[in-house]
Amino acid sequence: MKPLFSLLLFLCSMNLFSQATISGKVSDHKGKPVEGANVFIEGAYDGATSDVNGDFSFTTSEKGNQILVITFLSFETQKVSIVIENYKPQTIKLKESVNTLDAVVISAGTFKAGDNSKAAALKPLDIVTTAGAAGDIIGALQTLPGAQIVGESGRLFVRGGESDETQTYVDGIRVAQPYNATANNIPTRGRFSPFLFSGMTFSTGGYSAEFGDALSSVLLLNTINEVDNEQSNFSFMTVGLGASNVQKWKKSSLSVNLSYINLEPYQKVVKQNVDWVKPYQSMSGETVFRQGFNNGLFKFYAAFDYTTFNLNQKNVNFSEPINVDTQNNNFYTNASYKGNFGAGWGIHGGISFGYSQNKNEIDRSNLKNRENASHMKLKLTKKFSDRVHLAFGGDYFITDFDENYNDITLGEFKDGYYNNITAVYVETDIFFSKKLAAKVGLRALNSSYINESSIEPRISLAYKTSKNGQVSLAYGDFHQNPVQNYLKFNSDFNYEKTSHYILNYMYAVNGRTLRAEAFYKDYSDLVKYDTYTPLFNSNYNNNGYGYAKGLDVFWRDNKTVKHLDYWISYSYIDSKRDYKNYETSVTPSFVANHTLSVVTKYWIEDWKSQLSITNSFATGRPYDNPNETAFMNAKAKDYNSLSMSWAYLLSPQKILYFSISNVLGRDNIFGYDYALSPDSDGVYQRQAITQPADRFFFIGFFWTISKDKSKNQLDNL
Amino acid sequence: MTRIITSLVLFICSWAFSQSSATSSPYEQGMGKAMGLWKEGKSAEATAIFERIASVEKTNWLPNYYVAFINTVEVFKLQDKSKASALLDKAQQALDNATAVSQNNPELMVVQALIYTAYIVQDPMTNGMKYSSKAMEQYYKAQALAPENPRVVFSKAEFEIGGAKYWGTDTKPMCAEVERSIGLFAKFKPETAFHPSWGLERAKELLANCGK
Repeated sequence: MKPLFSLLLFLCSMNLFSQATISGKVSDHKGKPVEGANVFIEGAYDGATSDVNGDFSFTTSEKGNQILVITFLSFETQKVSIVIENYKPQTIKLKESVNTLDAVVISAGTFKAGDNSKAAALKPLDIVTTAGAAGDIIGALQTLPGAQIVGESGRLFVRGGESDETQTYVDGIRVAQPYNATANNIPTRGRFSPFLFSGMTFSTGGYSAEFGDALSSVLLLNTINEVDNEQSNFSFMTVGLGASNVQKWKKSSLSVNLSYINLEPYQKVVKQNVDWVKPYQSMSGETVFRQGFNNGLFKFYAAFDYTTFNLNQKNVNFSEPINVDTQNNNFYTNASYKGNFGAGWGIHGGISFGYSQNKNEIDRSNLKNRENASHMKLKLTKKFSDRVHLAFGGDYFITDFDENYNDITLGEFKDGYYNNITAVYVETDIFFSKKLAAKVGLRALNSSYINESSIEPRISLAYKTSKNGQVSLAYGDFHQNPVQNYLKFNSDFNYEKTSHYILNYMYAVNGRTLRAEAFYKDYSDLVKYDTYTPLFNSNYNNNGYGYAKGLDVFWRDNKTVKHLDYWISYSYIDSKRDYKNYETSVTPSFVANHTLSVVTKYWIEDWKSQLSITNSFATGRPYDNPNETAFMNAKAKDYNSLSMSWAYLLSPQKILYFSISNVLGRDNIFGYDYALSPDSDGVYQRQAITQPADRFFFIGFFWTISKDKSKNQLDNL
Repeated sequence: MTRIITSLVLFICSWAFSQSSATSSPYEQGMGKAMGLWKEGKSAEATAIFERIASVEKTNWLPNYYVAFINTVEVFKLQDKSKASALLDKAQQALDNATAVSQNNPELMVVQALIYTAYIVQDPMTNGMKYSSKAMEQYYKAQALAPENPRVVFSKAEFEIGGAKYWGTDTKPMCAEVERSIGLFAKFKPETAFHPSWGLERAKELLANCGK
């Protein structure tokens, strides 16, 4: 019996020994051993952790074809097919994950503000707590390098480009009328309350092939994907009232935001430089509905705005001021869907409709215009791996514009146009390694009204030079239809065109960011005309040209001094263009050679207060003095504005907010309007273009009601 | 004869094996070993084993729960903050896998709230506002599902104490909740030895300093 037992034991242990040994080594892409990698057979309990030399070894009773999985923090998970019986020890090289925070990012030309965004220069909170911005997204963006301070306009002027050269997108869908209605030389504001947006990308050049019909810049605003909880907000402000409500269901949510602004009481108290007959009044609202699906998110956004005002504007050509009475109706809506449908495929599509109607009564003449605009978008993305992404799609834009001008002496004039733009694009992002990445794209477009087509190559490269620094290069061609003021009179145009060349250096370490960007922009085919203002009988051509070159520097630091967060933006620009009715190539009136903004925010713990101070400075901008022979040879004085704001948190849900812009009351002069003809002494008389008021005071009380007591409106200020 | 012996041998061998697995399945062995390593402070080794178990036990939320929980707890202990985002990504991924197989699970909601808390701790100025309401949302959801779960009660109170201290409001009601959670810990019976059972020690520690 004893031999039989021994045999049994032997055979049993034989069975045990039929386990195979899986061993080898784990290294990174440079061949350096990786310690602590988890090596195991998928779907089995068998595995080991690599030791200090990267070696691993374990036994398994699994048989045949198996998958060996190797995982390690910050590295891509590697899967190797093996046959247990034939397994030979091997070295497995892991690739560093390109999704980590320290990987290279394609950043030339863009400022991002968003959630954990790697290239984020600003956070949404920053945008809205900046003193001087008065809660206007556009106002805050003007403290970034690349944007010019054009006080009489309030719009975005980027790198030697006109404000029309920037396109605005909400959830990837274009907004045809992003600014509120205003009168000549009275600054406007962006239509969007920061409240509903979580991410913003401000590109000052060299942007993706996904976007077009913009010569200088794109501003991408993304509505919040997911609301945290149900709440109501109430705002009581010296300029009006606001209320908002958020409802949340299992997979969907609805935000509604209403505001009523009336500047009359304020302007009764604070002296204005402008003679308002009926101060600015507006009723506006926005709503966002979100519906989540298993693989995607549907969003519906709608905004309306009704604005009226009436003012008497002095005009150097007339002894009596000119009365301007304006009514503007604006409605914008878009619906978009973004989702995945398996195997790395994604889809993003949507449609927008915008309607704007203006009624202006200028003295006894009537100017009415109406614009219908739509954008349809479809974009498909395919992720081949973490390293190769492809995007392609198409856009279809429709613009239908009508204008009716009824002059008391000259009679009635009608003009308008209908334009379709069709565009297709393809773009790929390739990460060659954690250090080197490229984005290469191509956009083709056709405009029906001017009957022109074009192709635009776009390329950017980014290379990580050190642990915290990276260099990016970008090149792109951009085309844009001539602006409405020309298109309504004439269709015989070409695209206006620019090429961007950008060299960017970014250094970010532990709460400090340095970003320096040199650029060159080459403008061609700009529209020229031969009359004082563009008219139906002007002679138009595309013979204009120009350039812009310069350097933008951005420095941000929130670590050196506790509770102090500040950023400094400096822009140098040299730009000349010969366009419109210019006599020669000169620096246009909206370009200041040097712009410097310093924004500081200081959190005072004991007072539960955030104190913010912003100083904006720009050298004087050129204007044309017809009393001199040289064209555009005069310069206005330098611009400076110091603004302060103080947010006091009475309790987690109640905030008191004060702000004063241009505290020092500096009388900034943006330029001069000259008379069309000289007076009896042969001198052209002039009138300064100034601020509508020396200072702007704002007091607001913001109150949040929600189940979660920690929520407040600080991010809305 | 050879045939009989062979089949006998095979039978006995397989019986011997089935015996050993009956007392302790590979799942139990793995979980036991991983939890042992974790208690010894070898969290990387423990996570590695939990990860392997997760690759087998695809419908069991527990191994991924521990991968998520351990990685999150590691973030709070970090000296070098540069690893935080990688750990939190890993934790979130594991938690998503766990949530996929076990929805409406208050234990997973607690870990989700802890992940949000870790983000807040990393950068309070930036993440504070956003993630604190997200974290509270998880606690409210968990509380509605399991009002008597001691980890839900304790973690929620701990989180609220952080906020109350900042605002200088009274922490007494939260301290009372911590005290209540200690009572609940005593009553709480985890479904198996591997189900979450942590928290009592920390609750006691917190209560000792509560309101001081």
